[in-house]
Amino acid sequence: MKLLYKTTQNFLLAMAVILSIAGIALYLLLRQEVTAEIKEQLELQADLVADQVAQGKTVNFPLTTVSEVSADFLPDKRLGDTLIYDRLQRENEGYYYLTLVKKVNLRNYQITVMTSYIGWERYYKTIFISFLGVALWMAFFGVLINYYSNRKIWKPFFLNLENLKQFSVRSAQPLQWHDSTITEFKELQYSLKDLTERSRREYLALREFTENASHEIQTPLGIIQSKLDRMSQLEVSEEMARYIVQAKSGVERLSKMNRNLLLLAKLDNQVYLEKQLIRVDELLGQHLEQMEELFSVRNMTLSTNLCPVTVKSDRYLCDILLSNLLSNALRYSPSLGEIVIFISEQQLIISNPGSALDFPPEHLFDRFTKSANHTQGTGLGLAIVHQICLLNGWTIAHSYRMGVHYFSIDFN
Amino acid sequence: MKLLLIEDEPLLMDEMEAYLTEQGYRCEKAMSFEAGEDKIALYEYDVVILDITLPGGNGLALLQMLKKQHSEAGVLIVSAKDSLNDKLVGLNLGADDYMTKPFHLEELNARVNALVRRKSFKGNAQIIIDDLIIDPVAKTVFYKETLVNFTKKEYELLLYFIVNKNRVVSKQSIAEHLWGDHYDMADNFDTVYVHTMNLRKKIAAHTGIDYIKTVYGMGYKFTSA
Repeated sequence: MKLLYKTTQNFLLAMAVILSIAGIALYLLLRQEVTAEIKEQLELQADLVADQVAQGKTVNFPLTTVSEVSADFLPDKRLGDTLIYDRLQRENEGYYYLTLVKKVNLRNYQITVMTSYIGWERYYKTIFISFLGVALWMAFFGVLINYYSNRKIWKPFFLNLENLKQFSVRSAQPLQWHDSTITEFKELQYSLKDLTERSRREYLALREFTENASHEIQTPLGIIQSKLDRMSQLEVSEEMARYIVQAKSGVERLSKMNRNLLLLAKLDNQVYLEKQLIRVDELLGQHLEQMEELFSVRNMTLSTNLCPVTVKSDRYLCDILLSNLLSNALRYSPSLGEIVIFISEQQLIISNPGSALDFPPEHLFDRFTKSANHTQGTGLGLAIVHQICLLNGWTIAHSYRMGVHYFSIDFN
Repeated sequence: MKLLLIEDEPLLMDEMEAYLTEQGYRCEKAMSFEAGEDKIALYEYDVVILDITLPGGNGLALLQMLKKQHSEAGVLIVSAKDSLNDKLVGLNLGADDYMTKPFHLEELNARVNALVRRKSFKGNAQIIIDDLIIDPVAKTVFYKETLVNFTKKEYELLLYFIVNKNRVVSKQSIAEHLWGDHYDMADNFDTVYVHTMNLRKKIAAHTGIDYIKTVYGMGYKFTSA
C-alpha cells in the first residue's frame, strides 16, 4: 500500500471516530441544557399563572390548566412529557408539562403548564446531519490537502527513487539529485549520494585494476614467449626441443586464458554496449571461409542452411560468439563427423556429433567447466558465449540427442 | 630502412631489436615516453613500433605527434591492452596496424614487412627467391615464367615463411597467422602440417628444391641463401 493512501486512510478513520464522539457528546450536553432551560421556563410560567389566580383574574394562557384542589394535596412538582394533537399539522406533537400544586390565597390550586419541544429524534437527526456534512467536507478537503501537500513533499523522494532505479555504476555521469526541504529526506539523499559515489569509484578502480592486471600479465607472457622463440632458433637436442615446445604451449594457453578472463570481466561490466545491425549469416559465412581448411583436414563435412538474418549486437562480440561456437564444434567432433549449421529468422543452430558430456549439463556454460578428456581448452569459451547471449538478450540452449550436440541461440 | 622501437620492457625490446636487425632493418630504441618524443621530433623513420603504455605518458599521444608532423612513417601499435576501444582509437588516429601482446616475433616481422612494402613501394615490390617471383599485389607466384597455383592459405603461408626466412617458425605462430587466434586448435596442429606439406610439395615439384625444413617438433624453417 502506498504511504499516501495509508496516511489518508488513517486520517479518515481518526476523523470518523472523533466526529462521532463529538456528535454524541454534543447531543447529550444539549439535551441536558435544553431540559433545564424548559423546566425554568415552565416554572416561571406557573408562577405567572399563580399570580393571576391570586389577583382573581381568569387564567387565559394557552395550554394551561388551573384547578382548585383540596387542601390535603401536598405541594409537589412533577415534570413530564406528553403528546398533544396538533390540529393544524394533524399529528401528535411532543410536549413538556409541569404540574405543581400551589397555595394561593389559602386555597390549593393545581397548575399545569406545557410547552412544546422539538423531539429528541429531530435533535439527533439535525446533529447527525450537520456533523455528517462537516465530516464530509473535512474529509474531502482534508484528503485533498493531504494528498497535494504530501505529493509536493514526497516529490523529491520519488524522483530520487526513480533516479536510483536507473542507477548503474557504469554510467559516466554521477546521479542528479532532487533537493528536498525535509530533514529526513535530506539525510537519505546525502547517504544515497555518498553510497552511489562510492560504488562508482570502486567500480572504476576495479575496472582500472582489470586493465592494469592485463597489462602486467601480458607483458611478462610476451617476454617468456619471445625468449622461448629465441631458444627454438638455437641448435638444441631433441629432448630440449620437446621441453621448449611444451613450455610454449603452456604460455599459449595462459595467454589465451588471460585474454578470455579479461573479456569475461568486460562482459560482466557490460563495457560493450555499442550495438549495430549485423547480418549473422554473412558473418558466419566469413568465419566458415576462414576455417574451411580446419574442417577439411579432419575430413569433416559442413552442411549449412543459412537464411538472411539481421540482429542487433556489438560486432566484435558477435564475431567472438560465432568463432567460439565453431571452435567448440570443431574441437569436440570426431573426424569424419558432420557439422550442421542452420540459421532462420529467429534461431541459429549448430550441431556436431560427439560423445556425451561427462559432467552435469547444467554446468556446461559455467566458467572452467571442462570435459575430463579434453583438458587443453581454457573452459571459458562457452561461458563467454553464454555471457554474450545474455548481454544481447538472446537465449542459448544445449541438447544432446542420438550422439549429436545441438547448440541453439534464440534471437528474440 | 629505419625503424624506431618504442617499448618500455627491456627484455622484449632486446628480442624485437635483435630479430628486426637480423632482418636488415636499422633499429633505434626509445624506452620511455620522453625518449620517444625526442626521437620523433629529431629524426625521420620509415616505421615506428609503438607501445601504448609507457612510463611518462600514453603512446597514443606520440602517435598524434607523428601525425601532426606529417610524418610518412608507418605506425604499428603493440599493446598489452586487448581492447577493441584502444584499437579503434589507434587506427582512427592514423596507426597502420595494431597487435596485442604477447605476439610472435615472426608475426611482428611479417606486419612490419607488409607495412614497409605498402609505404615505400606502394606495394609494387616483387619478392624474388632464386627463380620464384612473388607479386604481393596480384598475390601470384611465378616460377621463371610459369604460374604456380597456390590456394589462398598456401600463398599466405609461403609469404610468411619467406618474410621470416632462416628462422624456425613455430606451428602456433603459423596457425595464428593463418587462422587468427580465435580458433583454438587445442594443440592440434594437423592443419598446419597438412598445409606446410602441400606447400612444400608444390614448390618442390616446380623448382626441385625443398626450401622448407622440419625442425623437430618445433616448427619449420624456410632456408635460402
